[in-house]
Amino acid sequence: MPNHQLLDNITHKDLHIICDRSPTLGDAVSYTNIFLAEFRHVQGDYPIFFHKHSETGQFEAISLFGFATGENLFLDDAGWHAAYIPLTIERRPFLIGFQRSPSAQEPQPVVHIDMESPRISYNQGEPVFLAQGGQSPFLQRISGILKTIHEGHGQTDAFIQCLLEHDLLEAVSIKVQLKDGSKHELNSLYTVHEERLAALSAEVVATLHQKAYLQGIYMVLASMANMPKLIELKNQRL
Amino acid sequence: MQENVCVDKPIRTITIVGGGTAGWLTAGVIAAEHLANSENGVQVTLIESPDVSPIGVGEGTWPTMRGTLKKMGISETDFFRECDASFKQGAKFAKWVTGAEDDAYYHPLVLPQGYAEINLAPHWLPHAQQIPFADAVSFQGQLCERGLAPKQNTTPEYAHVANYAYHLDAGKFSVFLTKHCTENLGVKHILDHVTSVNSAENGDIASVSTNNHGDIAGDLFIDCTGFNALLIGKHFHIPFISKKHILFNDTALACHVPYVSDTSPIASHTISTAQKNGWIWDIGLPSRRGVGHVFSSAHTTIDEAESELRAYIGASRPDLSDNIAVRQITINPGHRQVFWHQNCVAVGLAAGFLEPLEASALVLVELSAAMISEQLPASRQVMDIVAKRFNDKFLYRWDRIIDFLKLHYVLTKRTDTDYWQDNCDAATIPADLQSLLDLWRYEAPWHNDFSQVDEVFPSASYQYVLYGMGFSTKKRATMRRSENSHLAEQHFLQNTQLTQKLLAGLPSNRDLINKIRQYGLQKI
Repeated sequence: MPNHQLLDNITHKDLHIICDRSPTLGDAVSYTNIFLAEFRHVQGDYPIFFHKHSETGQFEAISLFGFATGENLFLDDAGWHAAYIPLTIERRPFLIGFQRSPSAQEPQPVVHIDMESPRISYNQGEPVFLAQGGQSPFLQRISGILKTIHEGHGQTDAFIQCLLEHDLLEAVSIKVQLKDGSKHELNSLYTVHEERLAALSAEVVATLHQKAYLQGIYMVLASMANMPKLIELKNQRL
Repeated sequence: MQENVCVDKPIRTITIVGGGTAGWLTAGVIAAEHLANSENGVQVTLIESPDVSPIGVGEGTWPTMRGTLKKMGISETDFFRECDASFKQGAKFAKWVTGAEDDAYYHPLVLPQGYAEINLAPHWLPHAQQIPFADAVSFQGQLCERGLAPKQNTTPEYAHVANYAYHLDAGKFSVFLTKHCTENLGVKHILDHVTSVNSAENGDIASVSTNNHGDIAGDLFIDCTGFNALLIGKHFHIPFISKKHILFNDTALACHVPYVSDTSPIASHTISTAQKNGWIWDIGLPSRRGVGHVFSSAHTTIDEAESELRAYIGASRPDLSDNIAVRQITINPGHRQVFWHQNCVAVGLAAGFLEPLEASALVLVELSAAMISEQLPASRQVMDIVAKRFNDKFLYRWDRIIDFLKLHYVLTKRTDTDYWQDNCDAATIPADLQSLLDLWRYEAPWHNDFSQVDEVFPSASYQYVLYGMGFSTKKRATMRRSENSHLAEQHFLQNTQLTQKLLAGLPSNRDLINKIRQYGLQKI
């Protein structure tokens, strides 16, 4: 069970975070949700898809790491072999919480930490606070990531909403045959509908461009080039 | 049909008299197909009396409603949010056979496994004592029994895991349809009282006069004025054909029953519980249950019927059974001799009404609206041809529905009251139904028992009711190639596996409805 606590420099003053990438540190996941702002980086390594969140049924963007639950083909005991690691993985074990304060109308985002995470340590990894109680450079970087994630939710939701309005998403079924002849099928994934994209009017294309959505759309399409790579990684593990 | 004296007059304007679910569904179906919101489309006007308030009982639909709403361009999410809608996966009939506490069977909405290729009924019959028919051939009764939804929150709008229809608040549904029809489909809405009906020389309706909007003309008039039947009845005097000699129930007592809490389970099926002289419906909406007793006033008194209703409510809400307001509704079972006469067609209660045992009211509205829309005559010159087709089709449909409703009564083993005994009297059973019953003693119902491609109740429905009620079909003395017991075993096994899978994978009906209200369903 996660144990989420509000981060503060007294309770957590000696806290360190283990930043290695390993199956024992919770990195064995087959996908993670990603944000529009990082599509450009994600598409360098991973295929980008959309799927429906099991709790809400709403679409989110994901980067794919493997073909089965818990399978991360970029990960082994030596670490995570890719140029870019998505923000929702980077942030761990930190997360955004919300706190009401008397001065603000809306609840304010604050940094929380999962104290049950295997990354929690007091003698190895990165220190969270400086000796005097100030934020360590590590925590400053994490705060930046959390801020990007916080803003990324709204931006990405608006982007997906726009894709749905223009009927630009379609369900895809990914069928993969491996070297050993075994067949795998990935369902419940969605991608950009290329024919409908090509048929958009100049006016709509201009709007998508102004919102920087056009770039995002092409990043998704470009990311498909990573599928053969993912299959090859799977073949190497057979 | 009289000799037609009409000139070639294109049908450009349709005037619907009366709102409610019948008026607005018909308006929406026609307006969506005939582009009422464009200059080149048919103009659809709906006149609704401001004096008449919607009835607002909970009502059941058929799965057809999904297609009807989708065609009208309605978002299923909006429909759930605004019409107090819930999922309906069929009906549970309790106490219809023996009246014992454990006497119940399901009429689910999914077809039996492999229904396109194999009739499982003869293969099930030898195992009738071990497993109910509905459970042997479908998974849906089990889903209903556990209060599960027919889909997941990741299933797109109108798509299903298990076939489903809806329970809805008819009053809210009317308001919702009004908004959609007027704002998105171009239906012109006139709130006014119709004071008279004005004839043309050829006997058609030329216009209707209103209090404040003058005379409103139309090329085709649709009578959706409910039991009032202003056009088809009061103006044209088309006789009403009573079916009370077949279906005795003529009075209903209806009420709303609140849930214990807003987390109480919502049944995803209609529960129909037989009483001494009628039966009680129980329809779960998200905000409340709609419960009512429909009975034969010739066999019991209002007081007695009301105390049976209160006893039923008391079983789940002993705290409320004495202080819930009950409303009385008079039912006149039957229909018009014809539905389309001259340039006027009746839809909804104006066309006729039957007890809500198999939720036939709204589906008849949908089927009527669909046929009017699909075959809308282009000119007055050919309207009588379409009218005749329509009348033939719907007389057939009303008869099949009456047969199917009667089926629920004639298979009873109850003899505790005159009501049940009278219902089994051969003189009250339509001849068509009787010959099918005779045939089914030797042959399980199958596709070739009915003549129409768009039959209202498929032979599967007859199987569910017949074998749910303990009917027996004799085994043929000789073997047949198509009775492939190996294939049947495969389907039975498949059904068992599917049942387990769905029981594990579907959310509760309440949970899914809450999620739809909170997050919405996706269109893809």
